[in-house]
Amino acid sequence: MNRYVFYNFILVSFMNLMLYVPHILIDYRFTGAVSSILIGIVIGSILVYLYTSAMARFPGKGLPEILKLYYPQWVVTASMLFFAIMWWFATTIVVVAFAVLINRFFNPDANTLIILTMLVIACGYAATRSTLSVMFVMEIGLIINAPIILFVLFKAVRSTQLNWDAIHIAANYVTVMPTLTCIAAASFIFTGYINLSLFNRLFPPNFRFKFRFFYPLFGAMILLITFFVPIGFHGTEGVGQYIYIWSFTADSLLMQYGFIERVLFLFLIVYLNLTLVYTMAGWHQAMEFVKSCFPSNKPEIDSPKTPVSNYIIVGIFALLSILYLLMTNEKINMLVTSYWLVLRLFVELFIVVWVVILSKKGAKTA
Amino acid sequence: MNERLRLLFAEAVDIKLEVLHNSELTIEIAYIAPLCEENKINDFIIVPFTKDFYPFESQLSTNPDYRKVDDVAKWQELMLRGNVLIEAAGIIYSFDASRIISIENPQTQVESAIQGPQLALSEDVNISLNLIRSMYPSPDLSVEEHTIGSLSKTPVFALFDQRRVDPTVLDSVRTKLTTINVEMLHAAGELEKLLVGKRKHLFPTILITERPDRISKAIAKGKIVILLKGNMFAIILPATFFDFMHAVEDDYDAYWMTRFLIFLRYTSIVLTITLPALYISVVSYNPELFRVQLAFSIAGSRSAVPYPSFIEVFIMLFMIETLIEASIRLPRYIGSTATTVGGLILGQAAQQAGLVSSIMIIVTSVVAISNFVIPVNSLSFAVRFLKYPLIGIAIFFGITGVSVGMFVYIVYLCNLRSFGKPYMRIFGKLRPLEGDIGQVKIK
Amino acid sequence: MNLSIRVTLTMLAVCLLGGCGFKDIDKRFFVVALGIDHSENEKKPYRLTLQLAVPSPKIEPGASKTQIETIDSESIAEGVRMLKAYVDKELDFGHCKVFLIGEQLARTDYQDVLQWMSRRRDIQSVADIAIGKPDAESLLQVKPISERYPGNTLFLSFGADGTESSYTYVESLSDFSRRSSEKGLDPLMPIITKDSKESFIINRTALLNKKRVKLVLSSSESQLYNQLAKDFTKSSMHGMFEGMDLVVAITSIHSNFRLSKQNDEDIVTMNVKMKVIFEEAPKGLYNDQWGPVEQQLNKEYSKSCVALLKKIQKANVDPIGFGLRYRATHPGNSAWKEWKSIYPNVKFKVNANIRIEGTGLIK
Repeated sequence: MNRYVFYNFILVSFMNLMLYVPHILIDYRFTGAVSSILIGIVIGSILVYLYTSAMARFPGKGLPEILKLYYPQWVVTASMLFFAIMWWFATTIVVVAFAVLINRFFNPDANTLIILTMLVIACGYAATRSTLSVMFVMEIGLIINAPIILFVLFKAVRSTQLNWDAIHIAANYVTVMPTLTCIAAASFIFTGYINLSLFNRLFPPNFRFKFRFFYPLFGAMILLITFFVPIGFHGTEGVGQYIYIWSFTADSLLMQYGFIERVLFLFLIVYLNLTLVYTMAGWHQAMEFVKSCFPSNKPEIDSPKTPVSNYIIVGIFALLSILYLLMTNEKINMLVTSYWLVLRLFVELFIVVWVVILSKKGAKTA
Repeated sequence: MNERLRLLFAEAVDIKLEVLHNSELTIEIAYIAPLCEENKINDFIIVPFTKDFYPFESQLSTNPDYRKVDDVAKWQELMLRGNVLIEAAGIIYSFDASRIISIENPQTQVESAIQGPQLALSEDVNISLNLIRSMYPSPDLSVEEHTIGSLSKTPVFALFDQRRVDPTVLDSVRTKLTTINVEMLHAAGELEKLLVGKRKHLFPTILITERPDRISKAIAKGKIVILLKGNMFAIILPATFFDFMHAVEDDYDAYWMTRFLIFLRYTSIVLTITLPALYISVVSYNPELFRVQLAFSIAGSRSAVPYPSFIEVFIMLFMIETLIEASIRLPRYIGSTATTVGGLILGQAAQQAGLVSSIMIIVTSVVAISNFVIPVNSLSFAVRFLKYPLIGIAIFFGITGVSVGMFVYIVYLCNLRSFGKPYMRIFGKLRPLEGDIGQVKIK
Repeated sequence: MNLSIRVTLTMLAVCLLGGCGFKDIDKRFFVVALGIDHSENEKKPYRLTLQLAVPSPKIEPGASKTQIETIDSESIAEGVRMLKAYVDKELDFGHCKVFLIGEQLARTDYQDVLQWMSRRRDIQSVADIAIGKPDAESLLQVKPISERYPGNTLFLSFGADGTESSYTYVESLSDFSRRSSEKGLDPLMPIITKDSKESFIINRTALLNKKRVKLVLSSSESQLYNQLAKDFTKSSMHGMFEGMDLVVAITSIHSNFRLSKQNDEDIVTMNVKMKVIFEEAPKGLYNDQWGPVEQQLNKEYSKSCVALLKKIQKANVDPIGFGLRYRATHPGNSAWKEWKSIYPNVKFKVNANIRIEGTGLIK
C-alpha cells in the first residue's frame, strides 16, 4: 500500500505551483535559486527518509497518538493546536490563491468572495469525511489529474519554444550562495511526507515503506521542471514579470488538435481539482489534530457516522479562510506565503527530529 | 382439528375441511384449495388412503414429505403457504402441495446478454435455487431462510459461500434481516430500501439482478445473495460502483473490445452528467474554450434563441426526460413510436422555431443516449438525476462550478459504504489484503 | 432542518449569486483581429481597429461577415473601453488570434502595446502578432472571398492548420514578449501586405530591437532565415550548376551554431545539414555525378547565408540568439557587456552540408 504514501508526496509536489514556489525561485534566479534547489533536494530527501523510517516504528499511529505515548495531555494539546494551525494555513493559502486565480482567468466578473465560499464549502464537506474516504478521494483525484499534468509538463519540455540557452544561463548561476527563502521554497516539493503525521494511522502493522528512491527522483524532476521550463519559455529577463508564471507558461502552449485548444484551461481545471483535493487533505488533518487535543477523543479512521465536531471544526476553518481573503490581497498573500514557507521548513525539521528521537527511545525501552 | 381450524380462519368458501374414512382409519384433512395442487392431494393423500395397499399410518410416519406438526400455532401459516394438514390418530402432519403460479423459466429481459446464459431467475424460489445450485455446485454454498413481513410472511433466502463470505458483512446482513419490521414485502427493490435504511440515498448500494451467472460470480467473490419468494430478482450485496458499471458480457467477449466498451461506458457516464452543465458554462461564461469555428457556429445558431442558455437546456431536458418516461410506461409497441415522434419531430421543430439551438439538440441526444449505456438500470436512473445539480451550479459559476460539483460527487461516492465496504475505490479488493490501509483497529 | 429555513437559505444564496458574469455567447461580440496604428492626432496617438465577427448560422465560403470598428484614443485600454459604447454586445477578446501593429507604430515604439497585451487575461499568449503594411486598419478591411469564418484567413495563414509557407515567419505573442526583453535575443515579426482587395501577402520579415523595427528582410531572405533559425522544411532553394538553373525542395534540415575564438577573432560557425530533392533540374542529371552538384550548392548556400547574417549584424539586432548562447557559455555577469562589444565585429562561417536524395519522379 505504498502507493498511498506516493499519492501524498505527488500531490504536494504538484501543488508547489499554486504556492508561488516557482515565483519565489524565479525571483532569485540570479541570486542563489539554483544552488538552493540542489540543497533543497538534499534536505527534502533526508527528511523523507528520516520521517518514513521513524513512522514505520509506530504502525497505525498518527502523530497525536505517538505524542500521547510519551507526554502528558497538555503538551499534546499545545503542540497539536500549533500543528493544526500550520496545516490549516498551508491549505488556506492555496485555496485563497486559487479563488483569485479563478477570478482572473475564468469568471472575471464574479466576486472572489463568492467563488471562495463555494470552494470552501466543497472542501469543507470533503474534509469532514472519514480518513479512509479522504484517502480514496485523493487516490481518484490523482489518478484522474496527474496524467494530464504530466502531459502538460511533458509538452512544455518538448516544445520547440523552449530555449535551452536561457536555461543554460540560469543554470550557470549555480555558484551563487543559496538563500533561506529559496531553500524553504525548494524543499516544499518534498513536503508530502509530512502528511504521514496523520495518515500513518491507516497503515497496518506489517506495513513497510518501499521504493524510497522514488521520492528524491520524482521530487527533483518536478522541481527542475518547475523552475527551468518557465525560464526557457519566457527568457531569463521576461520571466520575472509574470505573477502567475505557470499559468502563463501553460497559455504559451497550444494543443493544435486537442478538443480544448488552449492548454491554459486544461491546466487550470486540473489544478482546480488538485487544489480541492489538497485542501481537503490539509483540512482533514488539521481537523483531526484539533480533535486529538481533547483527551476524551478516540481516533477513528472510518466512522460510519460523521461526528458533529467535524462540522464545527471545519466550519471554523472555512470561516477563517474567508476572513483571510478579506484581510489580504494577492501581494500580501504572496509575501505571507514566502514567510510561511520558511517557518514551515523549521517546523517540519522540528517534527521530524522529535519523532525520530521518540522512535529511538521507543526502540530502547522496548 | 377441523373444528379448531374453522374457528381460526375467517369465513371462506375456498377452505376445504374434509373427513375421510377407509377400512382402518379415519383422517381429517384441511387445505386452502386455490393454493394447492389438486393432483398432488389426490396422488399423495386421497388415492393411497382409499386404496390402502400399504397402511397409510406407516406411510405418514416413514415418508419425510409428511412432516409432523407439534405446534398448533403453526397451522394457520402452513395452510396459508399451501400445505395440507392431515390428522391421523391424533397426530397432525403437514404435506406441501403448494401450487406456485409463475412464469416458467423466463428469458433474461432486463439485463440481456447476447452471448451468455439466456435463462433468468424464476419467480419460483425452488427453480431459482436450482439454477444457482447447478451453476455453483459447491458444498460450501450455504442457504439461510428468513421470513420478512408480519402480514406477507415472505420467505427470504440468503445464499453465500461459507468459506469466502466476509463475516462482518454476514453479521450485519443477518441482524438487518432479523430486525426488519414491515407488514408487506413483495419486491426486491422494497427489500433493498429496507436493507439500506437510508431515507434519501442517491446511488444504489445494492445490486439487483436477474442473471444467475452474475449471482454465481458474486457468490464466488464472497458476496451475499438474497432471494425473495415470488420475485425473479435477486439482491447482491455488498456492491461497489464498479459492479454497476460491469456488464456480464465483459467477461465473455474478446479482451480488447470489452476494455474499449468499459472505457466507452465511463466516458459516457461522464458525458451524460456534465454535458448540459458544460454547455451552459461554455456558452455563457467561457466561449473561448472552444475552437473559434465552433464558437461562431454556436453563436450563429443561438442568435435566434430568445432565452438564456439555461432555460434552453431546461426546455430540451424536460422534453427528453418526459419522452424517456413515456416510452417506459407505454406499451412496448407504442413506446417506440412515441420516441420517434418526440425525438425527431419535436427536436427538429423546436430548433426551427428558434426555441433551442441546433447544438443543444446534439447535447440533449448525447446525454440521453449515453445514459442508456450504463448496464445496470438502477445506476442508470441515479445518474439521470446527477446532471441537474451540476446545471444549477454551472448557471452561477460556469466551468469552475462544474469542476467543483464533480469533486463533490466523487467525495460523496467515496464516502458511501455498502455494508461497511467502500463503495468507490479504485484498485481496492473487496476483501482487503493483509497490508491494505485502514485495517488497523485503534484502541 | 426545517423546510422553510431551507427554502429561505436557498433563495438568499440565489439572490447573492445573481449576476456573476453570466453572458450568453450570442450577446458577445468576438474580436477576431485587432489592429493598432499610429494616428496623426497627437493627443490621441493610438488608432484601434477591431475586426468583429458577425456570427451567422450558415457556414459556407464567402459567407463570413465582419464588422470593423475604428477609434482614436489616448491609450489602448481606454480605446477598447470606449469602443464598447459603439457596439451592442459585450466585446470578447477570447478568440482574438491575430494582432496587427501598424508599420508606423512598429517603427517608433511597440513596448506599450506589448505591455497591454501581456496584462490582459483574456488575450491568448499563443495569438499571432504581425506588422501591417502600410497600416493595420486598411488590412483589416480586406475581405477574402473564400473566407468561411470571420477572420479565418489571417488566422489560417499563420497556424499550421492551413497553409505552411516557407516565406511566413510565425510569431506568437509569448515568444515576442520573451524576445522583447531577453538580453541576446531580439524580436522579429512577419509583415503583412495586401495585393488587391481580396488577399494578403505575408512574405517578409521585420527584425526589431527592443524598441522598434531595424531591418526588413526581403522575401527570399525571409525564407532563408526561416531555414536557418526554424529548420523550416517545406521550402525550396535555388542554385546554379554549370550555367543551369536548379531548384531543390528541402525534405529535412538541421542547423546549429557555435561560438569560438580563433586567432583573437570571434567566429560564429553555423552548420546546416539538409537533404534535398530536385524540383527543377536539367534532364539527365540522374546519371551525372551528384557530388559536384552538392559542392556547388553548398558553396552558394553558405554564401547567401553569410550575406544574410552580415546584414543582420549590421543592423545590430540578434534574432537568432548568438548573444544568448554567448551568455550561456560564458558564465558571469559581465558576459553581456562583452558580447555587446564583440558582436559588431564577429565573423560568420557557414558550413552547408547538402545531400541530394533524388531527382523527383523522373530522371
